[in-house]
Amino acid sequence: MRTALIELTLLGVTGGLLGAWIVLRRLAFFAHAVGTATFPGLVVADATGFSATVAALAVALGYAGGVERAGRAGRDPGDVATALALVVALALGVVLASDVFESGAAVDRLLFGTALGLGGADLWVAAGAAGLALAATLLLGRAWTATAFDPDGASALGLPPRAVDLLLLGLIAAAAVAALPAVGALLVASLFVVPAATARLLTGGVGALLAAATAIAVAQSAVGLYVSLWLDVPPGPAVAVVGALAYAAVAPIAAARPATEATA
Amino acid sequence: MTAAVTASTLVVAYGGGAPALEGVDFSLPAGSSLCVLGPNGGGKTTLFRALTGELTPLRGSVHVDERPAYLAQTERTRLDFPVSALDVALMGSLANGRWWLPARRSDRAAARGALARVGLDDRADVRFGELSGGQRQRVLLARALVQDASVLLLDEPLAGVDPASGERIEALFRELRDEGRTLLVSTHDVDSARAFDRVLCLNQRQIAFGNPSTALTRAALERTYGDEIVVLADDGSGGPVRAVTVQHHHH
Repeated sequence: MRTALIELTLLGVTGGLLGAWIVLRRLAFFAHAVGTATFPGLVVADATGFSATVAALAVALGYAGGVERAGRAGRDPGDVATALALVVALALGVVLASDVFESGAAVDRLLFGTALGLGGADLWVAAGAAGLALAATLLLGRAWTATAFDPDGASALGLPPRAVDLLLLGLIAAAAVAALPAVGALLVASLFVVPAATARLLTGGVGALLAAATAIAVAQSAVGLYVSLWLDVPPGPAVAVVGALAYAAVAPIAAARPATEATA
Repeated sequence: MTAAVTASTLVVAYGGGAPALEGVDFSLPAGSSLCVLGPNGGGKTTLFRALTGELTPLRGSVHVDERPAYLAQTERTRLDFPVSALDVALMGSLANGRWWLPARRSDRAAARGALARVGLDDRADVRFGELSGGQRQRVLLARALVQDASVLLLDEPLAGVDPASGERIEALFRELRDEGRTLLVSTHDVDSARAFDRVLCLNQRQIAFGNPSTALTRAALERTYGDEIVVLADDGSGGPVRAVTVQHHHH
């Protein structure tokens, strides 16, 4: 229980900080896809005893690298390609689990996470991800803001847009992997997109967005964890539902306020 | 006088396709101003993107004295983005090469000073997307001022701008040139070209380059704009004429 709370708090910090950049760069679908893409890797690792973290990291970084390469060549992979990758990853994972490794029972845990099965190694990985997210936000935040605001203008300012992009995609991929044990491959977006999307409704500046997204993500993780223990469901769905309810509660309030106030 | 910007037999293409711009060959002295004229798709933006290094020449070469400040067309920036006018102006300080460090006090002072120069010091905390088109253009110009580059590339800075902003921007052009900076400005406004030191006419290739009296001839403008040009005054000498362009919208 304590392990799970620390784990989800660390993931909340990671998800809130990176989520702010994900929302600003409109990478929500990428963040969702990169988590799901790891699913077949997790199934193989789970069945063969190979390190799930390493397997998922390899798949996620490979996916992020592919997206960056496609974007660099001027061929944005686009929503259709991302959706296709999602479907293939899910289908492949399910087929591998049910017919190849006959480990169907693990599918629930791999897709939706677990609160009770978390260990010390998971904590270290989550702490590492939180540290990386914080360091990257401090060092790269200005460059990410300028690039997201005006990509052409940013490269004219002498920023290395490819390096800056690749660092963000790679970091999201690595952080998504850190979140897999707790929230599962399918619900990474519940930590990496939803809190920041809620915060985006309430804030008008990048700094405020980062702070609010982190606070919301941590609170949402803690409440979600209690709900998951109380209702005996995996933490992934509980955190996702709490996050969705928070968003639904905030959206009408934000919409009712005049635009200048809501964004000031 | 040394050249600040040079293009030599430049050919630029996008992604291995047919050249978008070819035969560009000019040299611009430091501290002078160039007006780049041409129709939509004529290669004005392509030339600027070659000068910033974003596009690599297929053949020929470009040379710019130092990294130029680049003001892209405003439609390319995101209006829902949560940044204030001051935040945007402050982005100019990223060009100092230490973009991983937080903004310094002197950077903030420079950003406020630049906003004052474009007449928007009282709008510093307003969200960028809530400003008018002309004000947004002035904020982006302030970002270029903070960058403190000796060469400025401004892509249609006067397009869709209210008259007050337009006057402010044109006054700033004169100030920047008086400071010895080199200014390249693309525009549709043929008449405004007469105020520049040099004029470059592009229509997928270089049609004319020279001072306004030699480049703004009826023949050159007709080859640049085709049927989009309307000549208002022509003294019949074959010299410079007054003209406007009309946009034909093809649906």
